[in-house]
Amino acid sequence: MSPAGRHQRRRDNVGNWAEHLLTERRRRSAEPDLISRALASNRLGVPSVVFFGVAGAAPLTVVIGGISTVYAVIGQTAAPVVYLVVAAILSIFTVGFVAMSRHIVNSGAFYSYISHGFNRELGVAAAFVALPAYAMMQIGLFGLFGVVAAGVLEAFGLTTSWAVCALVAWALVSVLGILWVDLSGKVLGALLAAEIAVVLVYDFIMVANPAGGQVTFDTLSPAQLLTPEVAAMMVLAIAGFVGFEATVVLSEEAKDPKRTIARATHFSVIAAGLLLGASAWAMSVATGPDRIVAVAAEEKTDLVFTLITPHVPEALVSIGYLLFMTSIFAALLAFHAAVSRYQFALGREGVLPGIWGYTHPRTGAPVVGSIAQSILALAVIVFYSFLDADPLVYLFAWLTTIGGLGVLILMWSASAAVVAFFLRNPGRENIWRGMLAPIVAFFLLSVVLDATVIGLGDILQVPEGSPFRWVFPVAYAVCAVLGILWAMIMRRVWPHNYAMIGRGGGGSRALLDLADFSKPHSHAVAGASQVHPIRPIDQVGKR
Amino acid sequence: MADQYYLIAHEDRTGRSRLHPRATGLGLAAALLAELVLEGRVGINDGELLVLDQRPPRDALNHDILDLLNTQPQHRDMRTWMAYLAQDAGLRVAERLMRVGAVEMVTKRRMLGSTQVLYMPNTARQRNAAAWASTRVANILVRGMELNLPDRTLVGVVVATGLTRHVMYGFENYPHIYHALPGMIASLPSDLREIVECTESLVGSALTVGRR
Repeated sequence: MSPAGRHQRRRDNVGNWAEHLLTERRRRSAEPDLISRALASNRLGVPSVVFFGVAGAAPLTVVIGGISTVYAVIGQTAAPVVYLVVAAILSIFTVGFVAMSRHIVNSGAFYSYISHGFNRELGVAAAFVALPAYAMMQIGLFGLFGVVAAGVLEAFGLTTSWAVCALVAWALVSVLGILWVDLSGKVLGALLAAEIAVVLVYDFIMVANPAGGQVTFDTLSPAQLLTPEVAAMMVLAIAGFVGFEATVVLSEEAKDPKRTIARATHFSVIAAGLLLGASAWAMSVATGPDRIVAVAAEEKTDLVFTLITPHVPEALVSIGYLLFMTSIFAALLAFHAAVSRYQFALGREGVLPGIWGYTHPRTGAPVVGSIAQSILALAVIVFYSFLDADPLVYLFAWLTTIGGLGVLILMWSASAAVVAFFLRNPGRENIWRGMLAPIVAFFLLSVVLDATVIGLGDILQVPEGSPFRWVFPVAYAVCAVLGILWAMIMRRVWPHNYAMIGRGGGGSRALLDLADFSKPHSHAVAGASQVHPIRPIDQVGKR
Repeated sequence: MADQYYLIAHEDRTGRSRLHPRATGLGLAAALLAELVLEGRVGINDGELLVLDQRPPRDALNHDILDLLNTQPQHRDMRTWMAYLAQDAGLRVAERLMRVGAVEMVTKRRMLGSTQVLYMPNTARQRNAAAWASTRVANILVRGMELNLPDRTLVGVVVATGLTRHVMYGFENYPHIYHALPGMIASLPSDLREIVECTESLVGSALTVGRR
């Protein structure tokens, strides 16, 4: 006989039952359970995502290389306010863009948004625009790096041509790209922090030593936005933000896909806008608003360094030059990784030949895309060095501007795709995120794109009647048409691959029925957290 | 089966993973889920897990996972479970292998005083057994023999995580194997095929992001 009588046992039973009920209730009320918490611990918070977005943009490269080019090329003093306005436009664009990223799988690159919002043909067209655009942005940076590195070496008494420096950088980037070395960790973080610190110190020095002894706010006046050159300035400004859109790649890695990515993307756009706007203003203060254009045209990328040299110890300028170099190099590496990843994603979905979908088994490096981009870059560098063209103008400024035009085209069509997506799938987001913001963004980006296409000749500084005034937008159009044709061929010949375009290439052998988005990814919808008990077999019925 | 996959996915001499660490984790998670499916405890339908039989399996690790599935009924999405299991699948399968004596725990001291714990075959016999894991599969494939269900699933996970080349190392002269692989995966029962497809897509996304 057990020591407990039947009353005792009965009380135990009741106790067990009550306890079971309690734990059950507690488990259901406590929001993040064991599994969610364990998964969240390995996920990214806002700072990491911001870092991912800003590191690609390399602030020092943009401040020193980009802003002076904007002043010199456009010949307008509106740069500070243009950076702020571009940040605002991109921020509005981000609202709808991030909202859509929650509702589609494989929310990686622009082309997947376009293939979800419109159709797969336009998606492939976007991919065909994106590939040359991002590739050119990277290759253009080699020109800047070559010139800057050659300048630094000359200070040490070594005279080399820019091409040699660019080729050394090319070799390093190619090797690191194939090894898939993860510089993104502490090294890049420290570099980024140092860059931002240097930019802030320089800005402070420039504002503290204004031309004529007084600080003016003329260049910040919004009235300048009414001048016709402003829209053309915007494409150059947008090129300085490229990289922020990469944050949505991490949406499946973020702690809270609903908020983390949105906050981080907004934060990186606005922070970059403020930093760049402030720097552009500080430069104009240091030279005086009426002289900034002339000085910038004369000094080019040395503008900032020339302005601060009289006021700071020599070491600070040297540190600036070194950081400028490493910053360009980091940007080169980041763009290289982005381009090869883009090619990998396309290879995986069968848009590019299957070999592009191959990764190195151990490191996961998209080897083929990496090599392809390296070969292309090598060809361009060698071509330019034989051409003996000014690398700063024809390699850096031209290619990044043309690449920026491509990215602008992508953003514009992505903003249209967001509108189309939420028209087709109403009620998924509130009216601001799903309707108003995307439409406003589409309108603003249309204006910028329109003005850019018209004013491209002036941005590139080619004379009237030169074919370069119109050939680049036409080339992008040709790329897009080729993409549409390619998608049609795919639809006829490889219907399986066609169905997977923009869908991440998962299980390409079977899962064909992805035409309707009945299942957005797991954590994104509010309904996913409601309780679905797993029923044992006797309730479900025999299989 | 997860044991076999572990031995295939790690180098027998150094104990390092042959794949991107996240890909290895996902492959092991897939193998563990497949074990539960093969034991008839769990079914998979349209990306959702379904506990068919709550009775504890014989193996301690399977038992552990099934208990977790039972106590967390609010999560049914297979991708969630794969991501969860992938986090520590390597460690847990290694511990299981240690219990049966196939690997041993080796602590390596690296530069700057950090240590690394590896689970690797340490004696000649263990190394032989580990190397046999992939050779055995390759042999059966090359000779065109009929694979049983666990082995077919194993091959599916190997293909999905990109270890095919390694398993076929030295058998490049038999291209007919490669042509047989898709058919073999297609012939799996639907639950197991879903696991393989899900693994492939998750490994792809993990590599696209490129984070460790």
